[in-house]
This record gives sequence, structure tokens and C-alpha cells, in this order.
Amino acid sequence: MHYPIGLLFDLLASSSALPWNITVHFKSFPEKDLLHCPSKDAIEAHFMSCMKEADALKHKSQVINEMQKKDHKQLWMGLQNDRFDQFWAINRKLMEYPAEENGFRYIPFRIYQTTTERPFIQKLFRPVAADGQLHTLGDLLKEVCPSAVAPEDGEKKNQVMIHGIEPMLETPLQWLSEHLSYPDNFLHISIIPQPTD
Amino acid sequence: MEEDEFIGEKTFQRCCAEFIKHSQQIGDSWEWKLSKEAFELPSDDCEVIEAPAASQVIKYEYHVLYSCSYQVPVLYFRASFLDGRPLTLKDIWEGVHECYKTRLLQGPWDTITQQEHPILGQPFFVLHPCKTNEFMTPVLKNSWKINKNVNYITSWLSIVGPVVGLNLPLSYAKATSQDERNVD
Repeated sequence: MHYPIGLLFDLLASSSALPWNITVHFKSFPEKDLLHCPSKDAIEAHFMSCMKEADALKHKSQVINEMQKKDHKQLWMGLQNDRFDQFWAINRKLMEYPAEENGFRYIPFRIYQTTTERPFIQKLFRPVAADGQLHTLGDLLKEVCPSAVAPEDGEKKNQVMIHGIEPMLETPLQWLSEHLSYPDNFLHISIIPQPTD
Repeated sequence: MEEDEFIGEKTFQRCCAEFIKHSQQIGDSWEWKLSKEAFELPSDDCEVIEAPAASQVIKYEYHVLYSCSYQVPVLYFRASFLDGRPLTLKDIWEGVHECYKTRLLQGPWDTITQQEHPILGQPFFVLHPCKTNEFMTPVLKNSWKINKNVNYITSWLSIVGPVVGLNLPLSYAKATSQDERNVD
């Protein structure tokens, strides 16, 4: 479904050794289940669509809409050609917020679990509480995916993974959004069962 | 600068409820489906439409969901031939009526794309929601000015629906303006 490859790995194969061996099919495309990828334009459009949605959440679309078409192109080309500086020259603007606020309006995130029917959980969630305290990753999970978090004295059932690592649940969500988002500016979070070794 | 008019989730639900009520009255097949796990609320309709050029029958299925990111409704749809073969994005673009073609060609990828349905997880075509506020704001502001009742969903769907083959009977709009108790 046009998911980032790292997300697919975390979600489906995180216990596998690298390199990740995959099987590529050339027949019987599952039309009902998967999106086609007809061209690079399709991927660019999907990427930009995610960027726009992320900015709608973070800044009511103000930052991305103020950019010129060439800035949008630069984001895509920077990603496509693996040019970190070229990408971040524009992306850093999407990571800013007004001085009087303590963070973005809402945090762009999606939580994935293979055990549920729903493809992902995405809700409105503010990075800063009414009293000015920064919300943490743990706060987010408790609010939108309580089954993922172990009860206080219970055994840890799941791993909460972003980019192949398990950030501490006390990490402020605003910080995660600024530093651990994927290029599309979303935090793609995998909830996977705790390995039993 | 004029403030854009968004609709909150509760207003979305209320407008959908009124819309469904009328749908049931006229035998239109919209349904309200509540997802167990969360709060997105699809309603869908199966219509069979002739595609004159190919002389083939195409079945459309439309879903109206609420986007909390953009705080507007979004139209998801899928289309297939009667033998089950799905239409491609290119088929959909080509099928858009002439009068909307110019706008579509200005930015096809910004207008109708294919995405994963957020609840069903299956591929659907989507009418991109990022411009919704641009055209809905004047509609809402004008209706307040002339003190006329407007159901957001009815107005919105009557604007975006025809682009993708969904035409609403006029009775939906008449039902809204007759409904006195909705003035709040």
C-alpha cells in the first residue's frame, strides 16, 4: 500500500536477519488488496499527499501551501536522489512552529498492528497538554491504543517500534515528530508482539 | 483574511444522519456503518451506471468518510465491471465528464488518486480533500447571510459527486430547507 519499506520491515519481519529476503510476484496481482504502482508520478503524488496531510495537522497547511511548486519538487527530488541536504533545506521549515507555541498543532502519526482488521490508527492528538506539559509516546498510546501498553504491573506484551528501535515511552511526542518522522513527516509506529526468545 | 469553515466530527455525524433519513425516505441506498474500533463513519451506495462508449455496465460504490486531518468529509469510491474486473485510475480519469476535464488535467494526481481505505484497508479512488474548504466556505457563509438552512453533506456531495458520476436527487436539498428544527 505504498508503505515505507522500513515500516514494512518493522511490522512484518523485524525478527529477520538482514538482508531482508523477499519474493517478488509477476502474476495474479491482488487487485482488491493492493494499490497499483503505475509510475514514478504515482509515488511522487502519494508522497506529496502524505506531506500535505502532515502539514494540515501540524500547521493547518499554512507552511506547505506557502511554499512554491519548486520547493515541493525539491522535497521529492531530494528524497528520490538520496540528497539529505537538498531535502532538509525545505523540510526544516515543516519542522518549525510559532515561538509562542510549544509544538505543532497536532502530531501526524499512524499506528500499525498486524493483529487488527483496521489498516492503521490515526487520530487528532496534541503534543502539548492544556497545562503546557509535553505529551509523551506513552501518553499517546494510552489514549489511542491502550491495548498496546502493558498494565503497570503486567508483563510487556508488545514492542512499540519506530525505525527499528523502541523509543522510551517517556520520550516527548513533539521531539519524536521533529526527529524521528519518516520523510513524509509522519511517525509510522509499529506495535508488534514481544519476541519470545 | 476570511476564516475557513471546517466542520467538526459531531456536525459531520449530524449532517450524515439527516442525509440518511432522507435517503431512506426516497429509497436511495445510502447506509450508515459504524466501525467498532473507532470513529470514522462510512456510508455507501451501489449504483449501476451505463458507460456509453464501451457499452459496458460499471458498478460504483461510494463511501463518505470524515477526515480528521483536514476536518472535512472525503469521498472514497471504487468501480468495477460486472465481471468483477476493477477500473484503473486511468479509466477513472478518462471517465470524468468533459466539463470537469480541464480542472482534472491541471493536476490529475492532486484531484483523483488511489489510496488505501482507512477502515477497510482496500484500494479505493479518492477525491482529494485539500481544496474542500475553498469551495464550501462561500456556500456556508452565503447560506448564513440569507438565513437559509444548509446540510453540509448534501451541499458538499452535490458539488463533488458529479465529478465522479454520483448525482444527487434534488429532493435532498428540498428536504433540508423544509426542516425547520435544524436552525441552531
